[in-house]
Amino acid sequence: MTEFFTALSEYTFLQNAIIACVLASISCGVIGSYIVVKKISFLTGGIAHSVLAGMGMAYFFNASPILGAIIAALVSSILIGWINLRWKEHEDILIAAFWSAGMATGILFLSRTPGYNVDLMSYLFGNILLITGNDLLLMLVLDIVVLGIVMVCYKHFLVSVFDEEFARLHGINTEFFYILLLCLISITIVILIQLVGLILVIALLTLPAATANQYVTSLYKMFFLSAAICAGISISGIAISYEPDLPTGSVIVLLACISYFASVFLKHSLRRKLSA
Amino acid sequence: MSNIVIDIDNVSFNYGMIPVLKDISLKIHEDEFIGIIGPNGSGKSTLLKLILGLLKPDKGVIKKYNQKCQHKRHHIGYVPQHVNFARDFPVTVEEVVMMGHITTSSLFFKFNKDEVSSAMRAMQTLEIEDIAKRQIGSLSGGQLQRVLIARALVCQPNILILDEPTSNVDVRVEEDIFALLKNFSEHMTIIVVSHDIAFISGYVDRVACLNLTMVCHDTESISGKMIEELYGTPVKMIHHHH
Repeated sequence: MTEFFTALSEYTFLQNAIIACVLASISCGVIGSYIVVKKISFLTGGIAHSVLAGMGMAYFFNASPILGAIIAALVSSILIGWINLRWKEHEDILIAAFWSAGMATGILFLSRTPGYNVDLMSYLFGNILLITGNDLLLMLVLDIVVLGIVMVCYKHFLVSVFDEEFARLHGINTEFFYILLLCLISITIVILIQLVGLILVIALLTLPAATANQYVTSLYKMFFLSAAICAGISISGIAISYEPDLPTGSVIVLLACISYFASVFLKHSLRRKLSA
Repeated sequence: MSNIVIDIDNVSFNYGMIPVLKDISLKIHEDEFIGIIGPNGSGKSTLLKLILGLLKPDKGVIKKYNQKCQHKRHHIGYVPQHVNFARDFPVTVEEVVMMGHITTSSLFFKFNKDEVSSAMRAMQTLEIEDIAKRQIGSLSGGQLQRVLIARALVCQPNILILDEPTSNVDVRVEEDIFALLKNFSEHMTIIVVSHDIAFISGYVDRVACLNLTMVCHDTESISGKMIEELYGTPVKMIHHHH
């Protein structure tokens, strides 16, 4: 571990990685809380995987893959949301279709792209150590967009997620806020893809928030706690994986799983002890 | 006769091909306490949703204060039968009550002083101020119902609509809640849906019996025969006085 700290003071790429963790954790904690309380983690998974379609097309047309990812994520979240509102009873089929169609489209375009792109693996599984200053800037901008919208519309989101019928009664367009929430989710996915990759994104969007949910009584407190947990987990993931040269994204995801289950177990045994 | 606040005129509603309500007409007066009863699936909740403006009638019109349905929805407080939230939803009693204030123009986190104080008053009326900081999932059925009533009261509605407010509580709590509603009805129109005619007849001024079509009765005239016609089977009726 000491090797990690000396390296941290020397290498910019490690410093960038730590800053990326903090920036990503902000959106991740806030949006992850909505995903957990609204129970839409698989819908989130569907959006995350359909992002590959956009990246594949971007490679094929020689455009910026991250731009392709943002467009694909927004398009698929609007489509999923819009179809889902009209076809609620088949939500799981819809998710399965978007999930697989997105990946299939991405792979089709990639197979027709000349040359082998090593970048693809890093988008699938993340490569936090390759993050550049420009990536950080993009993350910061996306963070501001996500946080800004959530802060302004906090009450609308809260009442729509808690009691949709009541929200509609108060004149709130719940369908609009549902699709807006999916769009915010897709922006957060793009931020997180660089950290852990699109396949593992769903873990960071759900587990830290679900861990936090066990200790809070208000949604805004859940934002702070899950963002802190997310930052803690991802930074420790980098520290642990650095010396033995393990894939960082996988270590971060496993840490998220371990902390969630440990927290469930602790809470459960604590409650038992108190009631005994 | 006092003013009519809700005028349901010859309203029909179908879910797809299935008729749920047929040619319903009902005039509800100011400060009236009216019970709507009927067996399961008789269209009680549908009628409430039509009154609230959440559904649109296929035929007929519903006027509120002689206005068309879409306007002034916030004059009506609504207490749903149940809210489908996760038990571990991170929201406190106080925050749920405050939701009664939220409209399209409520931005950012904070509520203003007036909103906070009217929420406090609603919580005092419902005697839930000591559980204000509790998480919503930790409440009993009776406490939760009180919170939902407080939430409906914070925007000071002229009309309060309740859908089976006592379906998840025991008899003692049921009596408490109805006694409270009886108090409110002095300065508020109250519409309450129930399947328990024998119980609510002790509180309400008038009963509307719904089963596809509708018949209205004054509370005094409720008889065993009438209930039998409504439910299709003999129902034991117990007279009680309050």
